[in-house]
Order: sequence, then C-alpha cells, then structure tokens
Amino acid sequence: MQDMAADSQAPGSAAVRVSGLTKSFDARRPWSEVWRHPFDSESVKALTDVSLEIAPGEFFGLLGPNGAGKTTLFKILATLVTPDSGEVTIGGHDVVRGAAEVRRLMTPVIADERSLRWRLSAFENVRLFAVLYGLSKDEVDRRSHEVLSFVGLQDTGEKMVGQFSSGMKQRVMIARALLPRPQILLLDEPTRGLDPISARELRTFLRDVVCGQQGCTVLLATHSSEEAFELCDRVGVMNKGRLLLAGPTADLVAEYADDRYRVFTTMPEHAAIGRAAPAGTVARVGAADRDGWTEVEFRVAGGPPQAAEVLKALVAAGVEVSRFERETLTLADLIERVMQRAGVSRRA
Amino acid sequence: MRKIFALIRASWLHVLSYRLQMVFTIGSLLLGVVPLYLISQALQPMMASSVKGEGGQYFAFLIVGLLTYAFIATAAGALHASLAKEISTGGLEALLSTPTSLPVLMAGMIGQAFTHTAFRALILLVASWALGAQLVWSAMLVSLGILTLVIIAYTAIGIMAASLVLAFKTTGPLPSLILGFSALLGGVYYPTTSIPSWLQPFAEWVPLTYGLRPLRQTLLQGATLQTIGTDVAILTGFTVVLMGVSLVAFSAALQYAKKKGTLAQY
Repeated sequence: MQDMAADSQAPGSAAVRVSGLTKSFDARRPWSEVWRHPFDSESVKALTDVSLEIAPGEFFGLLGPNGAGKTTLFKILATLVTPDSGEVTIGGHDVVRGAAEVRRLMTPVIADERSLRWRLSAFENVRLFAVLYGLSKDEVDRRSHEVLSFVGLQDTGEKMVGQFSSGMKQRVMIARALLPRPQILLLDEPTRGLDPISARELRTFLRDVVCGQQGCTVLLATHSSEEAFELCDRVGVMNKGRLLLAGPTADLVAEYADDRYRVFTTMPEHAAIGRAAPAGTVARVGAADRDGWTEVEFRVAGGPPQAAEVLKALVAAGVEVSRFERETLTLADLIERVMQRAGVSRRA
Repeated sequence: MRKIFALIRASWLHVLSYRLQMVFTIGSLLLGVVPLYLISQALQPMMASSVKGEGGQYFAFLIVGLLTYAFIATAAGALHASLAKEISTGGLEALLSTPTSLPVLMAGMIGQAFTHTAFRALILLVASWALGAQLVWSAMLVSLGILTLVIIAYTAIGIMAASLVLAFKTTGPLPSLILGFSALLGGVYYPTTSIPSWLQPFAEWVPLTYGLRPLRQTLLQGATLQTIGTDVAILTGFTVVLMGVSLVAFSAALQYAKKKGTLAQY
C-alpha cells in the first residue's frame, strides 16, 4: 500500500493524469447575510490537491462517502466543470485547453436519468447520440442496435423510455455511453437502480467486454462492495475533497481487513472464551438466537494460523462451536478505516 | 448538418408523441384565421390610408405582421426555453459531453421550434391567400431573405437570454421586454407611421421596424431591392452587431457556469 505521492507514479503513459487539482465552489449564503454583506463571498473546497494517475486499460474505483468530491472530480474530467488550479489530462489532452479532444476519447455516465428523452424509444434515444458522437451514416443504426443488445434492451421496440423502470433507464444511459467505443469511460454508480441479476450482468460485461476485450479504461464511482472489490484493479478513497489513499484493491483489502472472526457458540460466558484473549481480543458478544447460539466476535492478530489455534483451544476446552468464520471486509469498513488511519472524521 | 437534423428529428418525435395536441394545433390555426379575416375586413376602411405604402390591404398587412412576430417570438424565446429544460433534466451535460460544437447544439435545440413555426406560418399563409390576401408570390424569395435577417437579429437576442439562463438561471425581463416593445413599436398590428411622434425615435431602435416594412413592401406590393435597400442595410447592421455581442455573451456565460459548477443546476 502506498500513500498518494507514491501511488501517482503509475507505470506507462497515463490515460488519466490528475495533478494538484483543486476546486472550490461558492457557498450559498442566507438572504440575511447577503443583505448585510452583499459583496462578501464564501467558498467551499470541493477538491483539495488531488493527484492521481490511471493507466490505459485499468479499472479504477473511486470510493468515499457522499460529498467526498467524486462527482466534482468526474465533472472536471468530463470537461463540464473548470478546475481552479492543477492539471488534468485525458490521453495527454488538457481538459480545459483540449476539451474537444477529450470528448472524443471519453464518455461519461454521470447525468441523471431525466437526461434521456422520455417520450422517445430507447433506440431513438441512443440513435440521437450515435449521430452526436459522429458515427458514420452506415454505422448509426447498426451500432445503436448493438449497444442496446449489450445492455439487454434490444427488444423494447417503440416503448417510450418514460415507461421504463429506473434500472432500464440506467441501462439506456450506459448504452449511450458505449456508442463511440470510448477509450475512457466514466461511470458514476452504474448499477444504481438495477436489480441484482442485471447488476451482476453489467459488472461482467464491463469487466470482460468493455475493459477486457475493448481495452477501455474505466473510472468508477461506487458505493457497492461488489463493484469495488470484483471489478477494480485499484481503488482510491476520497473524503472531503481529498484523495486519502489509492492502491491495488487486493492489497487494500488485505491491509484493511481486520483479523476479525466470528464464532457461534452456546457458551459465550465460558472461561475459554476469555482465555482466548492472549491470542486475540473479544470484540463483541451478540444476542443469542432462538436456538441458543450466540455470536461472539474475536479480533485475532496473526492471521489464519493464529485463528486456527484459537479455534483448537476453544474446542479442546469443550466450548460448543457451530460456526467459526472470518468476517469479510465491507466497503463501509474500508472507507471508515482508511478515514480513521488518515485521522479524518466523516462529519464536517 | 447531420447533428442538427438529428436533434431536430428527436425533438419532432417528442412533439409528435403528443398526437392529439398536434391535431388541435393545426385545427386552431385554421379556425383562428377566420376571425382575423373578419376583423381586418371591418377595419379595412379605417386602415386603408395608413397601410397604403405597405400593400394597401389590411388583412394581408396583419397576416405578414403576425407571421413575422411568430418567428421573432420563436427566435427570442426558443433557445433559452430549450436550454432551461435541458439544464433542469441534466440533458445539457449529456449533450456537452459529446464531441459536438456549441453552435451545432444550439441550432439543433431551436431547430424544431423554427420548423414548427415555419409549418404553422405556411398553413396560415395559404389559408390567408385562400381568403383573399393579395400576395406577390414572385417576390417570395426576396421576402424569405428579409425574414431570415429578422430571424437572425432576434435569434441573437435569444442567445443573450440563453446566456442569462446559463449564468444566472433566469432571463429576467429581457426577452419579454424586447418582444413587447417590438410588437408595440415594430409595426406588427399597425404601420410605424401611425405611432405617436414622441414614440417614433424609439421605434427606430427596434430591428423589427426595418424588417417588417421591407417585407410587406416586397411580399404585398412587389417592391424592388433598390426601394427597400436602406431598411435592409440597417437591419443587416443590427443583425451583425447583435449576433457578435450575443456570441461573446454566450461564450462568457458558459465559462462562468463551468467555473461555478452550475451547468446542471436550475
């Protein structure tokens, strides 16, 4: 695991390079304040000195609580917001000076589903953008059908998008973004609103086809553990406009997954449980369920070998154990622990 | 051009999806021309001398005024209305994320409104002709040229209003004031010569004044380019200046909105 300065040294030429990016917005003041001091202004820092490099073909996840600055970063990358300072390049093109080139390389899925034309069919929605993305006359219809079939909407016919479910609308937006075969794809919570099966299909499609076969670089802002841990080669954690940490997903998971184990027993008060303390710490004792099995949470330093010793000791002491398992790291755990280590709180 | 047509096509598909509304629009247009005809016939004896220099027939005078006003209302109002809608739905961000230039997007956004107005104007013109409006069809090409100049001049005002929407999320009174003054002083319902003398100097600052007068002179009495040259030259001047100012204003407003991060806020 590396801190940000070290992480910014990504190998090869970067698809996305962000260096010292800072952005502030005007804070909205109450009328009484505006009346008293009409020419004053207050600003809120949305991004502070963010530096990041993403290699071509990489699947990068951006994690963080609401208001962390993920969307602002995405909008700057999509050329929709101008940075205050710092440098941002996409495929070597500056997002301010070379905005037109950037738009040829990258498509964002950051807009609201209302950005679709609700009185039009999925095909007509996608077809419009096929033309706007500059696809040739021969290619427009063929490619529109193709991307709709990628997201499983090829049979929706003349049905108006307004009659679609939220998940279907989300899929239309993804299809729209895939039209120009972008080199870089920005996805802001792409599986939001999708049912679990569709979400899994989309993840597989993004991983295998978009990133795998087409070699597309994907930046993903997500609150989903599956997306972060299954899809992303690397993830970055943001909070209050700062990028706290970035690194390979597997390394982050290994480092931030505490060695927490859960044991289900009928004897939570057994002395052996307390004796386990030298090897680990009893972190929490849950309530007994209907059959009398109680969940006890251990923090076991030393990894699986030490955990095996704890289990052996419990069984040898005659403690009844029905389950003994390592807790999986959730996205919330990861973000929280990264923030704790960085010494920042979630609240402003 | 393909991109403009694609945007216009999508907007038309949207409008046509409200099928009954489309039928009502055409029906009310055809029915509306009859009372106009009857009122103008009743006013003909009173208006004959005033409109003598612009065709002499008050019904045709009124129709040309109303048609042109419909176009300038579209020119001054369509872009900011369309932009406000796209901003509030997030559509503008999606459009701006494509490699499409801003002038093309703007043309596409207002294209449907203009083709709709043109379609309505054509129906109204043919219906008026059927009711006896005397038009010089051979002067149609020159008339269209003058109408285009008027439309561009007012499109510039529409672009200024759109700039205000981008930057401050409101047009303020700009389009309604300009359209109001244009209707009042530009000669839509009566010739500018009928305006009280103290108001005449104000009428000289209304672009419509220099559009409607030559338009009527060509379309209703077949005037040559020489006769209308001065008006057309002044109108061209208005158009060039207004368009230049509006494009600078729009570009500045877009930069401002990107800096403030308010492109998708309404």
